[in-house]
Amino acid sequence: MDIDDILREVDPTFDSIPVETRDLQALTRAWIAERSAPELLDWPADGLFERINDRIKKQIEKVEEMTGDMDPKTNFALIVIQTELERFKFLVRSYLRARVAKIDKHTLHYLSTADLRLRLSSTELAYATRHQALLHHHYLSSFLSSFPASLQNLNDTSGNISMIDTPDVDTAVFIRLLRDVVVRGKGTDVDGAAAGQHGDIFILRWSDAKGLVESGSAELV
Amino acid sequence: MALPLPPGLVPTEVAFLCEMEMVTIIPRQRLESISLLSGQIPTLRPPHRAQLPLWLALLLKKQRRANIVPPSWLHPASLSEIIHHEINIDPEGFSPPPPPVTRSDGRGMARPYGDSKPGDMVLSPPFLPSCAADAPSSYLPYHWLELSETLLAHASDDIHGAAEVRTLLRDLQEVRAAKMRGSTTQLEGGGGVVGLRGVGAMELAESRGFVLGVVEGVRKLGASAEATRREEEEARSEGGEESDEDMAFG
Repeated sequence: MDIDDILREVDPTFDSIPVETRDLQALTRAWIAERSAPELLDWPADGLFERINDRIKKQIEKVEEMTGDMDPKTNFALIVIQTELERFKFLVRSYLRARVAKIDKHTLHYLSTADLRLRLSSTELAYATRHQALLHHHYLSSFLSSFPASLQNLNDTSGNISMIDTPDVDTAVFIRLLRDVVVRGKGTDVDGAAAGQHGDIFILRWSDAKGLVESGSAELV
Repeated sequence: MALPLPPGLVPTEVAFLCEMEMVTIIPRQRLESISLLSGQIPTLRPPHRAQLPLWLALLLKKQRRANIVPPSWLHPASLSEIIHHEINIDPEGFSPPPPPVTRSDGRGMARPYGDSKPGDMVLSPPFLPSCAADAPSSYLPYHWLELSETLLAHASDDIHGAAEVRTLLRDLQEVRAAKMRGSTTQLEGGGGVVGLRGVGAMELAESRGFVLGVVEGVRKLGASAEATRREEEEARSEGGEESDEDMAFG
């Protein structure tokens, strides 16, 4: 027990949520959001992933050290640690896979403007650029090269029709409010608004929910 | 395919989330503290109660190292009260979710749990202590269905009146499933925002595909009407009539 534990017990104003819980909450929230939102969300900027990856790496090293120990007590601790490690790895993996799936689906869209490129992490950006280049090269060598030069583009926007497929931001999503706030949404017949309380669940379009989610007033569920 | 799952959490993923809920256990044997990625697990000393994530509690339970103390809302009396509320008091909506967990700030005021300074992170299920033994009774938390099913499957001997609880849960599930189906009439209206206060995670996951399908269908059918309406509103607000009302949504 160190001074923080003692403070925590006597002082109710002391911040009792440890940084590990905060990171797990942030990771879980990011995962759920990425699984639910129709478009790719921003890569967490505050180094959340680097922190979590670091910790996972350290934990794996610890497991490797402990495996040599044949004491039954360590054995049980080892089972617990490994179970948790697998759970963390699942979260990270599922989050990254959800992002890659979205990037694969609309590669050209996410590479089209600087703003959209900022949403990708550096590895994701490298992957998307390389993948798109390979794909373009493949198309070119198999059939595009026999087309007239003016028809060889994959990102033609002439004639008011864009070749670049974009995600549908009006897809409906479920959100949970994290504070009392008025929820406004566009509808087909009328535009709606509702006074929401902390913890309420709403269905609305992602384009309307985005502002609430980004400001931290709501999360996707 | 990088991820062959549809958008939105599927039931197995919801169950995975539910396993992070904190539950109360009574250890049967001493266990040294273990440092995990999600934080330090306290040293377990019988008969002192401790709060652990559900997945760990189930592991200890399976090895007969601990007993799980069911949350107070899982008591038959509490469940009957909720069913009474669902059927008689509010036959339209779901029973209300548990009140936000607050802590005293030491100056006679209550603050949201985990919200120490303005703008700080707000915790949400499964990281709220809504399934611990001292969670408020008569309120169903977000992960109620998954949690109670898991406890009944793996720790039914720890639950007071397990057979009765099982029957009550089935009734509750049926009443609420009917309400969930009924909520589609709201979706048809095309009003933009539909509230589902008090709904549970598994209930959402079960009907996500259906609900989203209805909303999408309504939107696509009404897309041209909506575009016309928006153009009209824009024209009107440019003309200066009722500008306040339209500007707010524009």
